[in-house]
Amino acid sequence: MIICPNCQHNEMSGAVYCSECGAQLVDMTVTTHKINNAEARVESARTGKISEAPTTGSQSWISLNILESGQILPLADRTEFTLGRSAEGQPIVPDVDLSPYNAYANGVSRLHASLKLVQDRIIIMDLGSSNGTFLNGNRLRPYVETPVVNGDSIYLGKLKIQLLIE
Amino acid sequence: MTEKQDFYALLGLMRNASAEEIREAYFEAARRLHPDKNTSPGDTEFFLDVQQAYEVLSNPKKRYKYDLTLPAEKPNDRQLDLRVSFSRQSMKRMTEAQLIYILLEFARPDGMADLSTPSLNLCLVLDRSTSMQGTKLEVVKTTALEIMRKMKPQDIFSVIAFSDRAEEIIPASHRADLSKLEYRIHNLQSSGGTEIYSGLEMGYQEVLENIQNSRVNHVILLTDGQTYGDEEKCMTLAHQASEKGIGISGLGIGSEWNDNFLDGLATATGGSSMYVSRPQDIQKTLMDKFHHLGNAYAEETRFDFKIPDGVELRYAFRLQPEAGVLANTSPMMPGPIGRENSLKVLLEFVVQPHALQKKDVTLIDGKVAVSLANAQVPARPVSIRLTRKVSGEPGSDIPPIEIVEALSHLKLYRLQEQARLEVSAGEYDQASAHLSRLATHLLAQGERGLARTVLLEAEQIQKNKSFSQQGGKEIKYGTRALLTSGRNEGSL
Repeated sequence: MIICPNCQHNEMSGAVYCSECGAQLVDMTVTTHKINNAEARVESARTGKISEAPTTGSQSWISLNILESGQILPLADRTEFTLGRSAEGQPIVPDVDLSPYNAYANGVSRLHASLKLVQDRIIIMDLGSSNGTFLNGNRLRPYVETPVVNGDSIYLGKLKIQLLIE
Repeated sequence: MTEKQDFYALLGLMRNASAEEIREAYFEAARRLHPDKNTSPGDTEFFLDVQQAYEVLSNPKKRYKYDLTLPAEKPNDRQLDLRVSFSRQSMKRMTEAQLIYILLEFARPDGMADLSTPSLNLCLVLDRSTSMQGTKLEVVKTTALEIMRKMKPQDIFSVIAFSDRAEEIIPASHRADLSKLEYRIHNLQSSGGTEIYSGLEMGYQEVLENIQNSRVNHVILLTDGQTYGDEEKCMTLAHQASEKGIGISGLGIGSEWNDNFLDGLATATGGSSMYVSRPQDIQKTLMDKFHHLGNAYAEETRFDFKIPDGVELRYAFRLQPEAGVLANTSPMMPGPIGRENSLKVLLEFVVQPHALQKKDVTLIDGKVAVSLANAQVPARPVSIRLTRKVSGEPGSDIPPIEIVEALSHLKLYRLQEQARLEVSAGEYDQASAHLSRLATHLLAQGERGLARTVLLEAEQIQKNKSFSQQGGKEIKYGTRALLTSGRNEGSL
C-alpha cells in the first residue's frame, strides 16, 4: 500500500498517481532521458572520448544522481563508500564528499550513511546522522542495513539523491 | 498476394491455430462471403480460396504436409508492430491487491511500402430536428457537402437525415453520382423530434449494403438532442455493427445531447465520440474525423481476451489516435490504427494476492484481430499474452516515462469521472472536492479556462445537486482533449 504524501489517501501498491487528489506517487524528478544524457556527459568527461558512444559507467556499480543539480556521481573501484561532507579542521573525511552539493545547508552529517555492495545486493546504512537518512520517504533506523534497488530515492537530511544501479 | 496464398492469413489465423479456431474462422468467413450473401465483386473468388484453405487446414494430414511447404515466418513480413511497456518489472508477493499499468502500441511497421489511401464506405446520419434550426443545420449541410466533394472515385457515401423518422437523403453512391444529388442536402429542412434509432438503423443498413473488408466502413452520427427510450435499441445495433466490422462515431452539438450514450456507441464499435459547443466548430471536428478515417492503416481492431482469476482489467483507455474510454471486457474494440498515428491503449490491472502464488502471473491472454485497410485478406492476428514475474523482494520500479506521462493526463479525466459517479451516488461534497483538485491541477498546467469551468461546476453541484449540461460536457471532453494535445507538445 502507498499512502499519498499529499492527501493521505491509501493507494494500491503500483499506483503512479493518487486517484483521490492526483498527486504523483513515484519519484520522476529526473527523466530517464536526462539521466542518460548526463551519464553520457559524465562518461565522456572522464574518459575524454567525446564522440564515442556512451558505455555504461565501466566499473561503477552505482551512481548517485543529485536531484537538485542533476549531476551524476558514478562510484567505482571499491565495494563500500561512506557518504557525508568534509568540514574544515576535522579529521573525518567521507569517501564521497557531498560538500559541493549544498550538503551543509541540506543538513548532511559529516559521516551520514554508507553504501555497500555485498555479492549482488546493495545495502544502505545510516551512520547515526543528525537529520536522518530516508529511503523512499521512510526514515531508516541508524546502523541497520537496508537493501536498495535501482531508482530508489534517498534523502540525506534534505539532500535528495536517486540511486542508479547497473 | 504475390506468391502462393497463405491459407492461415486467408482465414486470419495464427500458424499454431487449433482445429476449433480454424473451424470458427472458416464459418465466420463463409457467413460473410457466401455467394448467396456477398455483394461485392471478387468476393465469390475469395470465398473459393477460403474454402480451399479450410479443406487443407481442417484435415490434420493435409495440414501437416501444407505446413512443411510454408516458408519460415520472417520477422519482416510482419504486418503490424506491437510495442508493450509495463509500469513495473515484476509483481510483488504481498497480502493486498496491487496495480500495474500496461501500454500497448500498435503501429504500421517501419519501412513498409506505403499503401494507397483506403477507400471509404461512409454514411452521415444527420439530426434535422427542430432544435437544429439555423446555424447548426447550415454548418452541418455545408460540411456534408464538403465531405461529399472530397470523396475519391472508389469511395461510397450516403446521407441519412432523421427527426421523428428517418429519410434517405443520399443513397449509397459513388462520387460520379453524388454531384447530381447535392440539391437534396441543400433542401434539408429542420422539423420534428429526435429519434436516433431510426436514423442510426438506416445509416447502418446503407453501410452494410456495401460492406467490404478492404473498405473503411463507418457511420457518423450528428445530433444535438436526447433520444428518448430507444438508447437500448441503439446499443444493440452498435454491437451488431461491431460484429460486422462497422464503426460508429458520434458528434454531439451543444449541451442537450446524451454524452454517455454517444460515448457508449463509440466504445462498443471502436469509433469515437466528439463534442462541439459552438456550431462553428462542427466543420473542423468533422473534417478531422474524416481525415482520420481516410488515413487508417487498419480500419478496425478487435481484441478478444481472457483475464485469469484474481486479475481484473479495471480500466482501458485509448490514448491515440482519438482519446476515449474502451470496453474493459472482451471483446474490446480499440478502433483504427493510423498510417502515421499509431494506436495506443493503456490498460490498468488490479492484481489480487491469490493470483501471485506461482513464479509468473499472466495478466491478460488473447489475440488482436486487425483488418487492414485496402486488403481483402485480414492481417495475421497478433497474439497478446502479457505476463510478469512474481518476486518476494520489494521492488521500487520507475515506470517508463511514457506511462507516467499518459497517466498524468488521464488522471484528470478520471478525477472528473469520479466526480460524476459521486454526483450520481448523491455524494455532492466529495464530488466538489474532487473537482476542486482537478481545477488545481488544471491551473498548474496552465489550463485556466477549463479550470474556471471546473470550479464553477464544483459550486453548481453544491447548489443544484447535479452537473450542468454544458459544464459537465466541457469538463469531460476538455480533460479528454488534454490527452491528445499534451502529446503534440512532447512536454513532460
